[in-house]
Amino acid sequence: MSTKHSEAAERFQKNKSLAAWHDETLWMVRAKRDKISRQLPEWEELRQMAHDIKMYSNSHLDELLTEFERNATANGAVVHWAKDAEEYCRIVHGILNDHGVHHFIKSKSMLAEECGLNDYLEEKGIEVVESDLGERILQLMHKKPSHIVLPAIHIKKEEIGELFVREMGTEPGNNDQTYLTHAARKNLRHKFIEAEAAMTGANFAVASTGECVVCTNEGNADMGTSQPKLQITAFGLEKIVPDREALGVFTRLLARSGTGQPITTYTSHYRKPRPGGELHIIIVDNGRSEILADRDHVQTLNCLRCGACMNTCPVYRRSGGYSYTYFIPGPIGINLGMLKAPEVYYDNVSACSLCHSCQNVCPAKVDLADQIYNWRQRLQQYGVASKSKKFMSDGMKQLMEHPALFNAALGVAPLANHLPRFMMYNGLNDWGKEHDMPRFAQESFNEMWKKNKIQK
Amino acid sequence: MSSREMILANIRKNTQTKYEKPDYRSIEEHAIRYPDLIGQFTEVMKQMGGQAVLLQEGDDLNALIRSLYPEAKRIASTVAEVDTAFGKQTVDCGAFHPDTVAAPGDLDGTDLAIVQGRLGVCENGAVWIEQEVEQRAVYFIAEALVILLDRKALKNNMHEAYPLIETGKYGFGVFISGPSKTADIEQALVMGAHGARSVTVVLV
Repeated sequence: MSTKHSEAAERFQKNKSLAAWHDETLWMVRAKRDKISRQLPEWEELRQMAHDIKMYSNSHLDELLTEFERNATANGAVVHWAKDAEEYCRIVHGILNDHGVHHFIKSKSMLAEECGLNDYLEEKGIEVVESDLGERILQLMHKKPSHIVLPAIHIKKEEIGELFVREMGTEPGNNDQTYLTHAARKNLRHKFIEAEAAMTGANFAVASTGECVVCTNEGNADMGTSQPKLQITAFGLEKIVPDREALGVFTRLLARSGTGQPITTYTSHYRKPRPGGELHIIIVDNGRSEILADRDHVQTLNCLRCGACMNTCPVYRRSGGYSYTYFIPGPIGINLGMLKAPEVYYDNVSACSLCHSCQNVCPAKVDLADQIYNWRQRLQQYGVASKSKKFMSDGMKQLMEHPALFNAALGVAPLANHLPRFMMYNGLNDWGKEHDMPRFAQESFNEMWKKNKIQK
Repeated sequence: MSSREMILANIRKNTQTKYEKPDYRSIEEHAIRYPDLIGQFTEVMKQMGGQAVLLQEGDDLNALIRSLYPEAKRIASTVAEVDTAFGKQTVDCGAFHPDTVAAPGDLDGTDLAIVQGRLGVCENGAVWIEQEVEQRAVYFIAEALVILLDRKALKNNMHEAYPLIETGKYGFGVFISGPSKTADIEQALVMGAHGARSVTVVLV
């Protein structure tokens, strides 16, 4: 019954202090989200509105994308369309190549991660610099993000301190967060200024104005796009929203849900190229238009990438982002991975206790847990259902269909309470791994009911 | 067939149920409002790591800015004069205009930038800045930012703000709420990741 996820989770748990810190810190972010959301009496109505806008926009993508293209072109931007990751990388490289760009500064983009942009460009001799602090740390460590909003949440400051001694010449042994952050600020200033092109993703693309909206706390997207005059902005096609009124809804939800802030520090609206500059916008499909056909999973396209589902997930918090085999972890990543390639990413569907917390915090009310449940029902058809689980569920079926057998089994179940530990927690009982077994009640509900012990 | 045509054809083929566009009015009507806009804005600015200062009758704006940032030597300003609740005031502070530099990188080392805000949002401390100079770097590269904002331009929430904003001739605008920040190293909050380390909104 072990999966790649459970094996990786076991490795994560070996560093007990880091694992405990990870769990507590993300829970603290979740608690901040709760506190700030409760300051708005209209919170639940706001979530419903976000859901309804996304249901509208993702069922009118052809109209909204062409409206966006028309307006963006009228604003002076050049609009490109990429059907897949390869085409997206090729377009970016083509633009950089045409302008003789050697230094390229990027702000955080999960789309670039999805499409492997950095490796593609570096193979072609272009220096790519990530400018989000967490992303920059990971890039210098040759590691991948473990969370979509808090990418370096799994890294300790001591490791960053050592890295910065080598990369930025900081004092050895000084691991103070303020000191290290300001060292990176100084170091990256030069990178911003020497870059010949800057790239951002987009949190929202507005059809009615043709503008792209980027939300950051650091200001790195704006530092990048206000230095070189060549700007590239790329977004997955589900980022489209109809108008600015919709932005009013989403900007109220995004940071409150993700980090418990009332809004990100910077909410930037890019509409025209800089004077004498160029603005290239790439609309990327890469499998998204196929998701539209899957009625059970189409709502994954409503995701705002706020990270709230990760912060709340009891499995994510205790197993870390690297325990998932898809590059986006947590509840949304489980679903996106299955949509990408179920035969490759099926291990992740077990990384869920079906507590439904993700679904309850999602700002766009994506039915994340229901979808994971649904994938589990489909595992048989991919031929990857766990044999031991199948054996157990067939056994359960026998019990459930034969009341006498069921009652007999319940009658003897409390005996398990008195079994020696080694009989309960061993290689054979998968349920005993990483959890303590529940105690069986001495009397079943049925027996209590018959003896009139249940108060109505 | 071009990628554009392929993508659009795929969207049309795969789209199942079409959903109606929701009516925004319900959420706009139910959105939070504050009895004391200036008080709420001042409070939320603190929460975002910045500060709001209310200009008092008889205050000299330049002296006020100087007292807020006494160490600032290199000061850029996009504002020449401003209408306050107590009449017009000129802004000088010995500032230079950001468009007098040859390249945006030359703005690095600016201690303070003084800029004009168009409206402020009381639920989150965001101030709308419409780009009004060619070097938009000035809004981000300075160590500290002073935003001059009409005290009558405070709105309750984002629904009220969005219909009023414009991106102007430069086609760029940004909501700024407090100083640049990051918590990427062990979730410790640090001000001044890339943009301004300190932000003061002066309600004029």
